[in-house]
Amino acid sequence: MVALLFILFAGLAVGCALSMVVQRNPLYSAISLIGVFISLASLYVMLAAPFIAAVQIIVYAGAIMVLVVFVIMLLNVEEEVRRTLRLRFLIPTAVLLAAVLIAEAAFVIYSVQSEGKPLQDPSTSEVGLTASIGTGLFTTYLLPFEITSVLLLMAIVGAMTLARRATQIPDNAIIIPGAQVLPKHTIDPNVVEDPTPVITHTTAEAAEAMGEEDPHDLSKID
Amino acid sequence: MDWNSPLVQVILRLVAITVAFVGVLMIVAYTVLAERRVLAFIQGRLGPNRVGYGGLLQPFADLLKFILKEDIVPDKSTRFVYFLAPVIAIVCALMTMIVYPFGPEITLPWIGHIQLVITRFDVALLYVLGITSVGVYGIALAGWSSNNKYSLMGGLRSSAQLISYELSLGLSLVGVILMSGTLDLYAIVEQQSGWNGMQWNLFRLDRFQLLGFIVYLISAIAETNRVPFDLPEAETELVAGFHTEYSAMKFALFFMAEYVNMLTVSMLATTLFLGGWNGPGVASIPILGVFYFLIKVIFFLFLYIWLRGTLPRFRFDQLMNFGWKFLLPVAILNIIFSATWAYFNVFGSMN
Repeated sequence: MVALLFILFAGLAVGCALSMVVQRNPLYSAISLIGVFISLASLYVMLAAPFIAAVQIIVYAGAIMVLVVFVIMLLNVEEEVRRTLRLRFLIPTAVLLAAVLIAEAAFVIYSVQSEGKPLQDPSTSEVGLTASIGTGLFTTYLLPFEITSVLLLMAIVGAMTLARRATQIPDNAIIIPGAQVLPKHTIDPNVVEDPTPVITHTTAEAAEAMGEEDPHDLSKID
Repeated sequence: MDWNSPLVQVILRLVAITVAFVGVLMIVAYTVLAERRVLAFIQGRLGPNRVGYGGLLQPFADLLKFILKEDIVPDKSTRFVYFLAPVIAIVCALMTMIVYPFGPEITLPWIGHIQLVITRFDVALLYVLGITSVGVYGIALAGWSSNNKYSLMGGLRSSAQLISYELSLGLSLVGVILMSGTLDLYAIVEQQSGWNGMQWNLFRLDRFQLLGFIVYLISAIAETNRVPFDLPEAETELVAGFHTEYSAMKFALFFMAEYVNMLTVSMLATTLFLGGWNGPGVASIPILGVFYFLIKVIFFLFLYIWLRGTLPRFRFDQLMNFGWKFLLPVAILNIIFSATWAYFNVFGSMN
């Protein structure tokens, strides 16, 4: 039973991973990656680590990939066309790195087998339960836990600072309410070099700055 | 017969899950009917009352119509994703149903003691949150694959709204988890069985969770895309939002998913705040627990319908401001407050 489920979920994970790499459409790749995460979570459940499985689903499948899908949808990224390979040198590097990874996995399997310990039944283990993970985090591993939280806080503050700077309006632009943001020289070609902004707060002021009549001036209408 | 052999257990579970799904879909069908009748009552109309006595067979008439309608697939849609989206929506909605305890331990004649919950596990609450967060893809992908600007706008709005309110929803539950010390829903319900079945988390002064409950209730309405947070399907701006291009049974799947999600958040509120199946007299007559559970869930469902008949819709910027600048800080405040309350333990343990 367990072997059957393992083959099912492992096969699904490998299949989705391959599909992620092969797909041309970025959204299909993203969906395949979600499939990989969900199959991995199922494997964690079978290894008696339900907490890791739940966190895997919540953080990766539920939060990060939603953002990825969101961005792909928002930018409407088109299907990738086959380009001439500029980065040709990456192919041997990729093969080399894959070989190193496989060698590593093989070494782990070999060293575990050479230890000669009997296989443990994961369903009797307490390690993956929420309570034991919580106890571990707040006693033995308290310092790494706190350092990680400081790191996360720094990332949040950094993201906010960057996002805020991007929305600042440059000094040499003026804002015309109800119209659009125009560079200053479109109003007066003589002041291209002049960096001082002309700020108008109402449509009437904007019309005056542009040398036109106020379109909303009621006294001009008979 | 050996009741503990793995094969029998698997078959029993499968039967239980099937029964639960059918039960849930029946409740959903009659919630739709109740919604139409109650809304009609609020608006001074009659509502559907022709099929069966007082309209009681209306859901089946609707279902028949959904099945028989032509299934239209837009020419320029992304075929595979277009088919996948409603499936994701309904599967994610139904998958959470298996963890809610709907009754206490009862004794059956030649079977013995059984707990009225389909499955119990260590991280039931996280499982619910995880599966509901995956449900966002159903809506987002439906909006994208329809190749329609209204659908895309609806899908984008909806995913933005769900991501924003998921945070305050999750954080509002931390208080309860902190006080209960477990994520197992059955254990959380069992802890609330004192005071002759009225020691609910909402009423216990040693677990003061009123703030958390209010934040949860508001975020839950936003999570299920209901009025006043139903911007993803604002018909005055977006035709029907993400499901504009869906017809026949695919539309019905989205429709059912929305109501199953309503049921999910109602059940979670009942379980965590209103004592689940607890109530007066459950200790002596256990089967009464199922009745109490249903009454509480129906109360929340009625609340949803009532709100729909009462409130106007938010504007999108108001929605985002409310979620991020008000609800989220209040939820965080509730965590700090709960932790302090638990640490100083003013009222002592009330057990």
